[in-house]
Amino acid sequence: MTLPEMESPTTPTNGDGNGGALCGAVLVCGGGVAGIQASLDLSAAGFRVFLVEESPTIGGGMARLDKTFPTGDCATCTLSPKLVECMRDYNVDILTMSDVTSLSGEAGRFVAEVRTRPRGVIPSKCTGCGDCWTICPVRNTAEAPPPFQPYKPLAEADAAKLGGILARYEGHPGSILPVLQEIDRSYGYLPRLLLEHMACRLGLRPAELLRVASFYDRFHFEPTGRHLVEICAGTSCHARSRGTLREKLEKEIGAGVGETDKSGRFTLRTVRCLGLCALSPAMKIDGQPFGKVDADRVPEILGRFA
Amino acid sequence: MSGILRNIADLDRAAAAGLRTLYPPQLKILVGSASCGVAMGAPDVEAAARRAVEELHLDAVVCRTGCIGFCAKEPLLDLVLPDGPRVSYPHMTPGKTRGLLEAYSRGNLEPEKALGRFTSEEIVSTGEVHSYPPCPEPLRRIPEWSNLDFYRRQKKVILRNCGSIDPRALDETIARGAYRGALRAMTDMTPEAVIDEVVKSGLRGRGGAAFPTGQKWRMAREASADVKYVVCNADEGEPGAYMDRTVLEGDPHAVLEGMLIGAFAIGAGEGFIYVRSEYPLAIEMLEHAIDQAGKRGLLGEDILGTGRSFHVTVRRGAGAYICGEETALIESLEGHSGEPRTRPPYPATNGLWGKPTVVNNVKTWASVAPIVTRGAAWYAGMGTRRTPGTTIFSLEGAVRNAGLVEVPYGISVRDLVYGIGGGLTGDRPLKGFQAGGASRGCLPPSVLDLAIDTEDRDNATILMGTGGVIVLDDGACMVDMARFLVGFFLEESCGKCVPCREGTRQMFRILSRTCEGHGTMADLALLERLARSVKSASVCGMGAMAPGAVMTTLSHFRGEFETHIREKQCPAGVCRGLAAPGSSIGSSAAVRQ
Repeated sequence: MTLPEMESPTTPTNGDGNGGALCGAVLVCGGGVAGIQASLDLSAAGFRVFLVEESPTIGGGMARLDKTFPTGDCATCTLSPKLVECMRDYNVDILTMSDVTSLSGEAGRFVAEVRTRPRGVIPSKCTGCGDCWTICPVRNTAEAPPPFQPYKPLAEADAAKLGGILARYEGHPGSILPVLQEIDRSYGYLPRLLLEHMACRLGLRPAELLRVASFYDRFHFEPTGRHLVEICAGTSCHARSRGTLREKLEKEIGAGVGETDKSGRFTLRTVRCLGLCALSPAMKIDGQPFGKVDADRVPEILGRFA
Repeated sequence: MSGILRNIADLDRAAAAGLRTLYPPQLKILVGSASCGVAMGAPDVEAAARRAVEELHLDAVVCRTGCIGFCAKEPLLDLVLPDGPRVSYPHMTPGKTRGLLEAYSRGNLEPEKALGRFTSEEIVSTGEVHSYPPCPEPLRRIPEWSNLDFYRRQKKVILRNCGSIDPRALDETIARGAYRGALRAMTDMTPEAVIDEVVKSGLRGRGGAAFPTGQKWRMAREASADVKYVVCNADEGEPGAYMDRTVLEGDPHAVLEGMLIGAFAIGAGEGFIYVRSEYPLAIEMLEHAIDQAGKRGLLGEDILGTGRSFHVTVRRGAGAYICGEETALIESLEGHSGEPRTRPPYPATNGLWGKPTVVNNVKTWASVAPIVTRGAAWYAGMGTRRTPGTTIFSLEGAVRNAGLVEVPYGISVRDLVYGIGGGLTGDRPLKGFQAGGASRGCLPPSVLDLAIDTEDRDNATILMGTGGVIVLDDGACMVDMARFLVGFFLEESCGKCVPCREGTRQMFRILSRTCEGHGTMADLALLERLARSVKSASVCGMGAMAPGAVMTTLSHFRGEFETHIREKQCPAGVCRGLAAPGSSIGSSAAVRQ
């Protein structure tokens, strides 16, 4: 179909001096939430909008989501009003199952050719009852995403190590956590490539694995220092130390909480209670506990760890 | 002593072997080597003791034991004298250890340096008493351990073997009565009879929620399923509580025996222990104990010759506080993120992989065996009518005798802080205390005389939840404490629901403003409204409890909040940018505002 040339309701003039009137219509490609919002805004600004979408419906990726990051807002609650508004807007023509096949012209007066694929129903008569679906011979053709492939193969030693760890937990349901813990212990963090390969071998998507791993505090996603310094941030330690131990450690190590010092010797982190409350303030280095740590003792304690 | 244990005669033989190492004919040097001992230098003390024994040619054995509870005196070294009592020495160093053993070799026990002496020790699981030989004259000056303020009101059931046995020595545990309850349950009783016994004892969960244990077991027993599980919740994430760690480090078989009895009662063949990864020593002790129990026929196949099987797996937590909630723990065990499930259905009928699952806390499992061995009536005779038995409090902060205290329910906070705890360090005035978990906020001295129970009845009892008691003197700022406690929930919120995720963040912001001198009186009203909303709208218990930290502290210490806002002063001098009354810094903040 070739879109009709439209007269703009505002008939702005072309600013390039050639005197031709601008077309007051706009073509928006893609009916995702961005396309919908763009169409609504353009319509509100007085333009006629043709919203071209290749799939049968507008809504795009957001319509598939439960929540959006980082606020966790309900995706449907955000999108639904926009869908309805877009559908009702007289200035917006929604062309679903359509592709832009060619584009010509110049800025201000483009001509787009849009090819609309048959949808098997007459849109103007469709009531959305869904009865056609029950008798449609092609309704069960589902789109399967291609199987995930890690971005590169694992080194031989790493592949053997991962294989060994996974083999130990074979037949133990729910052992993702112990496997991740072994990898974290072995490498000092969770290497991305290793996680991708682990996901492949377990028949999971890497996102599923990352979701589990990132839920827990103990996993590291960046390489850590040779020694892990844990400062107790429990109630008793807070009441007794009021942050002085943490400040001293940050100063001595030269790195903040969650960071590794430049020489790669120490990684500093806080733990909500190390369980040494009667000996507050307390800390641990590589699992070795230290109680009643006066800030003045910090250099001596750190000195024990090369 | 090794070999498969099948019957009471085998247990008796193992117990006899255990007694020989528990009370050997020569001098026994015991070093408290739980995490608290290690944190204060117990390994150095042990090494010094071993060197001294060798160099002084002493006829002595050096052993490690768990924590006896008196953490403020760590590292503790005990001498079990070949012809006398057991004497404890506090605050040991390698130098002091050498000196003490040199003095011992000269016949001097340095009684003036001792903390206390044991004349006898109760074997709680059987009710028998081991009496030490009569005390020689010079040692009579040492106070008896049972007369120490710290110990006088205590009644040990859960911590029955901690600090007395070597946690790696199964025979020593058996000598203290372990696995007799399991044998009795599995050979003389039916599962229903075991459950009846636990119901009659009145045992309630020691994890904080205090659900009747027997009732939970019965629900799981009656649920029909091909597979059932028992789970030990050792994800002790609550700041200020460390009793589970102590039990696992000092007496892991107490938990294993309880789980074995529970598994028999509900018909489970598999168990999991979910331990915090912050407790590496507890994990090491547990794994060692499971391996040992497996080799001796106490776990695995054909347990105690009964033909029954029970397998236990240790799983490490990965640093999520919410996993202490039982449904979140189950999610984590299944290999998912530890997000709590909506209840009902309850885990007792739909738990791990949808199967009936009993989840109990470490202290609860450790309480089970003595109930089965000595009977429900014995257990029900302790504590209060509503909550029989004992529980453990970790007493810490500005208190003299910091440590783990096991007492029957019903004791007052005053007895806990001033009687057992010996009052505040430096005789500072008591400003308040943070008790029963972060969600309980800070309580004022006016509740000191209330009895501790599992049910909160106004003006009669005080709820202690997980049992951490952090004593605060006048050097503590309550606004800062409220901010700290809310900050904890802010960090630990799993983020699943908005009220908890965003509500705690906003409460933290308001409290931070107040601590920095930018708070307004309108903030306090907003804080209260916000707390109510978060409490009523959160999905799980954690979100519902989080505002408690603010509401309790605000209601009891409102004056201090107002001083921060109106006078721009922090009476305790804790909040940076503000200052104690009379200081020019405080007034400059007021001017700035």
